[in-house]
Amino acid sequence: MNTQASIPGVLERLQQGVAAWLNSWWRLLHFAVLMFSLALTPSSYGRENRPVLARHLVADTAPNLAWYGVLSALVSLVLIRIVVVTSQSYGLSRFALEMVVRVLVLELIPLTAAAFVALRTTLPAGLELAQRRHAAGTASGDELHREFFPRVAAGIFAVWMLAAVSCVLTLILAYLSLYGFTPWALTGYTRVVGQVFNPAVTLILVLKIVFFSFAVGLIPMATSNRISHGLADMVRVFGVMLLIEIASLMGNYY
Amino acid sequence: MTEQNNEAAPVRNAEFKAALLLVLMVALVLGSAVYLLYARGAFESTQTLILQADDSEGVVVGMDVTFAGFPIGRVRRIELSTEGKAHVVVDVPRKDAHWLRSSSIFTLERGLVGGAKLRAFSGIPTDPPLEDGATRALLVGDPGAEIPRLLAAARDLLQNLNDLTAENSALAASLANVAGVTGKLNGPHGAMGLIAGDEKGAQQLAERANKLLITVNTLATKADKLIGHADESVFGPSGVAADAQATIQQLNALLADARNSLKKMDAVLVEAQAVASNTKEATADLGALRGEVESSLRRVEQLVNEINRKWPFKRDTEIKLP
Repeated sequence: MNTQASIPGVLERLQQGVAAWLNSWWRLLHFAVLMFSLALTPSSYGRENRPVLARHLVADTAPNLAWYGVLSALVSLVLIRIVVVTSQSYGLSRFALEMVVRVLVLELIPLTAAAFVALRTTLPAGLELAQRRHAAGTASGDELHREFFPRVAAGIFAVWMLAAVSCVLTLILAYLSLYGFTPWALTGYTRVVGQVFNPAVTLILVLKIVFFSFAVGLIPMATSNRISHGLADMVRVFGVMLLIEIASLMGNYY
Repeated sequence: MTEQNNEAAPVRNAEFKAALLLVLMVALVLGSAVYLLYARGAFESTQTLILQADDSEGVVVGMDVTFAGFPIGRVRRIELSTEGKAHVVVDVPRKDAHWLRSSSIFTLERGLVGGAKLRAFSGIPTDPPLEDGATRALLVGDPGAEIPRLLAAARDLLQNLNDLTAENSALAASLANVAGVTGKLNGPHGAMGLIAGDEKGAQQLAERANKLLITVNTLATKADKLIGHADESVFGPSGVAADAQATIQQLNALLADARNSLKKMDAVLVEAQAVASNTKEATADLGALRGEVESSLRRVEQLVNEINRKWPFKRDTEIKLP
């Protein structure tokens, strides 16, 4: 009897859970559409909104850029050195550059850039906004304009900026580590880079960075108009990033 | 609302810095895009080369065609022709196209490690350059394909070795025979036993050999004596050698006589030479005499001519007609 009674209870809880899960994703989708519509509205970049947008953009990007630039350069140098030394010991040094570019520039840098921005900027910002808006209900249009949109745009931009700077920096570091301060290896290096970045790989890299930035910028803000303790957002952000990474790996290598 | 805005971190010249970041971002993205386009040869003027192969396995779009280790072309497309052959379409930048000549050879090498390699070889640099859209055969060298053949050959070799070293093989039988032979050699009769076959035969053979040796010994003694006799008859006091010596002495005397005769003959010849020289001189004198006689005769002729000219009754030889 007891078991029979508990089965509908489990099903009910499951149904409630699924409904809540779907509802949260629906709210996220709704929020994303709102944000995109705001991004495509010229008034979002108007004179009155511009100072707030600029302030968030600079505050979210500049400190991250400096820290992440230094950290990624150090990690890249270590990884490049490991790859070069290992490949040399096996007599496969001609494949070292391709491996460095594929591992670092295509896979690690975008992923770590997005994770860095999420952990240092958007997740704390989302949490802070949620706590501040503790009592408030659904966000109004003006609030979306003045509070949410600048933070989302700044998060997205920060991921783009960090990824772009770190990718270029890593390409330069890879060249310097492999060949030293000489311009004469530039032709061969350019050729290998050109072979790695074929149109499909380049498109996947760009799409990956864009979707990472959307995940990092939108998810923490989407849930901040209700009570949130932040951990669920973090799990969701990293879950989505993992899915995007898996999709990009499948696109690149299958 | 205003309070919330004021809570955001204050940034000086935020708009300028944001614009700077945006510009940096756009510059990075555009720069990377242009660099990648350049790296993929988008700004190069190229000519097409089609390489034909039975099997294009290992060739991928975007791989390099190298000449002397330098990349001079890039695979643009791989397609299957109507004849069932693989067509590898290669873009060769025009600035590098001069390395390829009409006699150039193209190879596809598949290594054991790493990808395949497309290589070009130009043996005769003075040949006409390769024309745009040319089709050439691709020679395929594949060490991987050699491995099964090598393994088959190695297996055959090992089988042959096994056959050779098997228990009932010819080599084993030969070795057993050799062992038997060496055993007999080491036996009490040694090589004799080996030649004779059995023990009895070996004994007989040894006895016969002994007899033969005795006979040979006797023969040698006789030969020795014979040589002694021959020595005496040749080199003894009345031997052939003494006679020969006397004959040689006589011959020596005969030769001395002949030498004297020849000396006399030589003197006669010297005299004859002197006679001949005298005759030569006389002949020279005769020449002068003849010259003198000829001049005298010429003078006499002149005199006669003069007399004839001056003679009053000179005969008129002309016939005067009335």
